[in-house]
Order: sequence, then C-alpha cells, then structure tokens
Amino acid sequence: MNNLPAPVNLHTITDNLAEAVFLVDRNKAVAWLNKKAGELFNTSTDAAQGANIIEITNVKKLDSLLDDVFEQEAELNCSYEEAAVKVKSSDQRYFFKISINPVFYDQKLWGGLVQFTDVTRFHEMEKIKTDFVSIVSHEFRTPLTTIIVGVEMLKEGMLGDLTPRGKEVLEAIGADCERLSRLIDNLMELSRIESGTIYVEAEPTDVVDLVQEAVRPLKFQAEKQGIELITDMPPNLPPVAADFNKAVWVLTNLVGNAMRYTDPGGTITVRIRQRGKRLFFSVEDTGCGIPKEDQSKIFRKYVQVSGADHKGTGGVGLGLAIAKDIVMAHGGEIWVDSEVGKGTTFTFTFPVFYAQESVSLPEADHEGG
Amino acid sequence: MAKKVLLAEDEKNVILGVRTCLDAVGYDVEIVEDGDEALNSVRREHPDLILLDLLMPKVDGYEVLKELKGNDVTKDIPIIVLTAKAEEEDRQRAMDLGAEDYMTKPFKPQELWDLLKQYLHEHSD
Repeated sequence: MNNLPAPVNLHTITDNLAEAVFLVDRNKAVAWLNKKAGELFNTSTDAAQGANIIEITNVKKLDSLLDDVFEQEAELNCSYEEAAVKVKSSDQRYFFKISINPVFYDQKLWGGLVQFTDVTRFHEMEKIKTDFVSIVSHEFRTPLTTIIVGVEMLKEGMLGDLTPRGKEVLEAIGADCERLSRLIDNLMELSRIESGTIYVEAEPTDVVDLVQEAVRPLKFQAEKQGIELITDMPPNLPPVAADFNKAVWVLTNLVGNAMRYTDPGGTITVRIRQRGKRLFFSVEDTGCGIPKEDQSKIFRKYVQVSGADHKGTGGVGLGLAIAKDIVMAHGGEIWVDSEVGKGTTFTFTFPVFYAQESVSLPEADHEGG
Repeated sequence: MAKKVLLAEDEKNVILGVRTCLDAVGYDVEIVEDGDEALNSVRREHPDLILLDLLMPKVDGYEVLKELKGNDVTKDIPIIVLTAKAEEEDRQRAMDLGAEDYMTKPFKPQELWDLLKQYLHEHSD
C-alpha cells in the first residue's frame, strides 16, 4: 500500500466517480455525499448532513426503496424507468438508475449507500428509436397505397391486357407488397408496446369467433400453397379473458409463420384444449422444424431464424417477439416444441374468463418443454 | 346518374391511384388537394360521399370533419377517412368527430369499392 502514488486516496476516487453517491443512516438522514451528488442536487456534505435524503434529492420513491433494503438487508437495483427523476436544481429532466447497498457497522445494519447512475442519454436513445420506428412505418403507408392499388388493378386486367410473364411479375410484386404491409404493421405494434402505450383490454372472448377470425384471411393462401389448414377444438369451450384483436393477431401470426415453413402437401392444425383455468392454443405444422439451438432465441426481437431446411423466413424477426409480449400481457405463456424434419408446434395460453373474477390468472403448471 | 365522390388528398400518386380505382367503377370524381378547397367544394358540389385524408395543407382532415359534421346542410354526407395514421387514438378522434368509417393506408381497391357501396347504399352485383 505504501508504494501507491499520492492521488490514490478515498477523496480522489469518490470525487471522480461518474455516479452520484450518498451514504445515509437507518433514518434516511444523509451522512456523506460525493462531489457528483453535490453538483447534481445542488448541495454539499456540510449542507446536507443530517437532512433526509428524500428532501435533498426530491426522489420520493427512495423512501420505499430504502425501506425495502433495510427490511431485507439486501442490495436493491431499481431500473431507470421506475426512478425517473427530475432534479430540482435545473429544469432538465434526468433519468437515473438507482442502486442501494445496505451498509453494516459492527455487524449490524447501519444504513445504506445510495448510487444514482445517469441513464438520461440511454433513455433518450430508446425514445428516439421508438419514435423513429413509428414515423418510418407511418411514412411507408402512403407510397404503398399507390403501389398496391396499381398492382391490384393491373392484376384484375382493369388497365389493359398483360402477358403471362407480366401477370407473374405482378403477382410477385403484390406478394412483396403484402410482406411490406405486414412488416409495417409489426413495427407499429412493436413501437406501441415499447413506448408503453399498449394495454390489453381483457374481455370475455368467444374462442370459436377468435379462431375463425384468425384463420379466415389465411385459408385462401393455404389452399393456393396446397397446405391443409385444420381447426380442432372440442365443443362448449368457455370464453377466454382476452383482447379480441390482439389475440387474433397472435394466432394469425403463428399460422402465417407455419405456412412459410410448410411445404405443399403439408398440414397445419390449430388446436384448442382446456386444462384447468387455462385454454391452450397450439399451431402445429408438418414443416421442416427448428434446430434445438435456435429454439431459445426465436422470441427475441429482430432475431431471424431460418428453418432446418434454411428456407427464407420472409420476416424481420418481430412477429414472435410481439406475440410473446401480447400473450404475457394477458397473463399467459408461449413456447415452442419442434423436431427437425417432423414439424413445429407453437403453444400459448389464455386464462379462462370467469364472470365473478374479471381475469383469472394462470396457474404455475407449465405445459411446455 | 353516376354518384359524385369528392376525394380530398394531397399526395399526387395516391390521387392517381384512387382516381383510377374510382373511374374504373364509374364514379364521378372530384379532386381537391387541401382542406380549404374540400370545404368549398362540398358547399358548391354537394357530393354523395367524401374520401378524406387527415394530413392536408391549410385545413387538416379533422377540421374538415368538424366543419362538415357540425353543419346541418352537410352533416349527412358520408365521410370515409383514408389515412396513413394507424394509431387507435387517431381513428377514435375521427370517429368521434362523426366520420362514417376509417380506412388505413395501404388498402386494396376491393376494400375501397366495398366501403363506397356500403355508404352509397348500392347493392353488389
């Protein structure tokens, strides 16, 4: 230790920390603070000593956070969203990640070390990303209108005759326009979810209606691809507590996915079963399957996984991520079972709707694996 | 006599697309490119139906809706909003202002024809 250069001392270190640090006692009174904390909250150790940290920082949430730490004597990390703080010394709004560590003295809990990490920039970047996605998807819609209207009218022969090759090319343009539209819808949905503006309104939802609405737009396409699309559900299923449009979105997305991986002559089965207070919706295909190593990452955003036969996906890896967000927002679960060469089954659950309880939360008996 | 449809839209390419679509099934189409013109045209021509974009110069689509639906002479003309604004709150705002229907871009010609038939009370053949 004696060989260390002079600047190596507690003050040099604490004064140069990027984090604002407070040491408080069991009564939440400030005992010490570092230079950054003084700058950020327009105070100093001399001025703040003995005062309650909530008064000094104006972060009301600290009260319950400190209570939790003192009670459990455990370290607590609070994510930045929960600790959005407006610092009183300026009009600027900062976002902090707050970490609290219990401090022991003489083997007894004495107080806590409270650290504020400035994550404002990170928060702003997230917001920019979400806004950007929303603007881009909005801006894509107008030019797509001209393209789709034009293509459809040309296809119908309303603007003159086409050669067989011309028709074929138009079919391809039409199919890719559909793909772009789907992508835009998915991006919009995702930016809504990420900006926290989405919420599910769970209402009693008839399962037959839900399945019919989800499968109807895909029936024609399945027929064209030579894929058999089967629905298998017992009679008298109870209603589920679900947001109808979002539930339809999830099911349509899973069936659409299955169609992209299933060859002509294959089968896709939409199966509904009740187990206890939950309904299990599964979409089973006879496609190429998903390799084991890819199964764990398919629900992540922007992750594209090609099937075992390396067929293109025609997506950007958002559908399943959104489906997962929607299912989880209903208190349900979603998972995949797949075997290369045999096929894939996606299953998700929704709680059964009971008139007495507005939403019945799922039990812990997970059926996946 | 052909039904008169007013298209209020400021994007040239969309105008071409929608106009072609409406011409093909025999509607009499009048085009305006901002909200102010839309209001003048409605007073002058009294169309059978209005296809209304929301984001337009001078007077936006919401204002047009408010004016037309708040006026006894024009309140019964069906208005279908055609817009790139896909947020639920935009739809709700337009419907609250009295729009008969709301279609998000992009759409297919058939979807547009179906809506026109529905609000012009034409039976499909």
